[in-house]
Amino acid sequence: MARMSTLYEIIYENVRVGELYEKLDRNWVRCFACGHCCKIPDGQPGVCKVRHNRGGTLYVPWGYVGGIQCDPIEKKPFFHAHPGALAYSFGMLGCDLHCGYCQNWVTSQTLRDPAAAAGPMRVTPAELVLDALRQRGRVIVSTYNEPLITSEWAMTVFKEARATGLVTGFVSNGNGTPQVLEYVRPWVDLYKVDLKSFDDRHYRQLGGRLQPILDSIRQLHEMGFWLEIVTLVIPGFNDSDDELTRLAEFLAGVSLDIPWHVTAFHKDYKMTDPENTSAETLIRAGEIGNKAGLRYVYAGNLPGLVGDLENTRCPNCKALLIERFGYLILGYHLTSNGCCPSCGSSIPGKWASAFQGQITANPFAPRTRPHSDLLVLNS
Amino acid sequence: MDVCPVDCIHPAKGRTYDDGRPTFDEVPQLYIDPTECIDCGACVPVCPVTAIFVMEDLPEKWHAYIEINKNYVDGGKFQPDKYQKASS
Repeated sequence: MARMSTLYEIIYENVRVGELYEKLDRNWVRCFACGHCCKIPDGQPGVCKVRHNRGGTLYVPWGYVGGIQCDPIEKKPFFHAHPGALAYSFGMLGCDLHCGYCQNWVTSQTLRDPAAAAGPMRVTPAELVLDALRQRGRVIVSTYNEPLITSEWAMTVFKEARATGLVTGFVSNGNGTPQVLEYVRPWVDLYKVDLKSFDDRHYRQLGGRLQPILDSIRQLHEMGFWLEIVTLVIPGFNDSDDELTRLAEFLAGVSLDIPWHVTAFHKDYKMTDPENTSAETLIRAGEIGNKAGLRYVYAGNLPGLVGDLENTRCPNCKALLIERFGYLILGYHLTSNGCCPSCGSSIPGKWASAFQGQITANPFAPRTRPHSDLLVLNS
Repeated sequence: MDVCPVDCIHPAKGRTYDDGRPTFDEVPQLYIDPTECIDCGACVPVCPVTAIFVMEDLPEKWHAYIEINKNYVDGGKFQPDKYQKASS
């Protein structure tokens, strides 16, 4: 438990006054950073365990990162934004959900579970942006833990990042509120929502509710974020034809142009019972997406096994526009203004004027990058 | 119960229920609806009588309450289907 208290000290010391909350009577506060909208009494944290009320003021995480990694943007995954770019990815600690299959549980669940110990690093926004540029990042992304609950920090980082020309993004569970989405809108270009299920009972097992997430997806699209949706397909949990169809039809009702990634589950953290997702299941999910009318459906995590579901085709003339193997771009044929070269159809997304090659020469293990020299806080 | 983000502790003070279940003043204890609860733990540290535990931490001597809470749900006062939040 000594490790736990160290982490709590880090959480409680590396803070500043939050912006996404209102004061209530009796020194309570209501936080708006996520869909839980916690009412928090004096001396307690919210459900996320990182935003806490001290004397009627809400303090929020500040001045550290729980982890940094240079990833291909395709890993986030964004398929319609700067293909091949290096996404400099940072996270803090904590999450408003507690999914049993979390693949980032070392950072997201470190405050709930002593088995998940991460080493946070002290850093200023300027240092972080400098590091991103030094590592040849084109995009800077708040990910690993839930970015909404650390929005105040991310926006300060993103303001610095924008000034240098970096593109910004959130990789999020989408459990937002109108207030937090308004707050981040000016500084976030790309937004990925992990729509984990279309069943409220399932969402409650993961620690949330379905409705705030659906509301946020509609709002994100209306507000003009570049939005892509991911669904990790878990056998026996969310892979029924009925659930996938309702989910795909909901997305199609928001916009046929939203890319939908169906990705393969592998056993992780506490969810080790379901079998790993088969290629057949992903292909079936992909067909459900296409049938719902979605124009850009991708199958992820099983490179080479899902046929055409890794590629982008023109929805009008079916010309091959971007050819992929996993995160690797094998072919790029969009015009400089993001159109199909065969029929001229405009393809929705945030495209560079030309493909600049894959920035990570080896996108799966960028070992050649300079080592980050940020300080580890509890070393 | 202000801290519960999904309002799953029943019967809530000052609330009447359409299904005619007993109100706050008519019950010997409060119950957590497991179909609504998101297992966030926010209620645990603020309970004024330390009556709420995460399942794994529940002291042996109070294990009977697992059944009591379950029966309240199974006894038809809570009907999981009826109380399902809209899954739109």
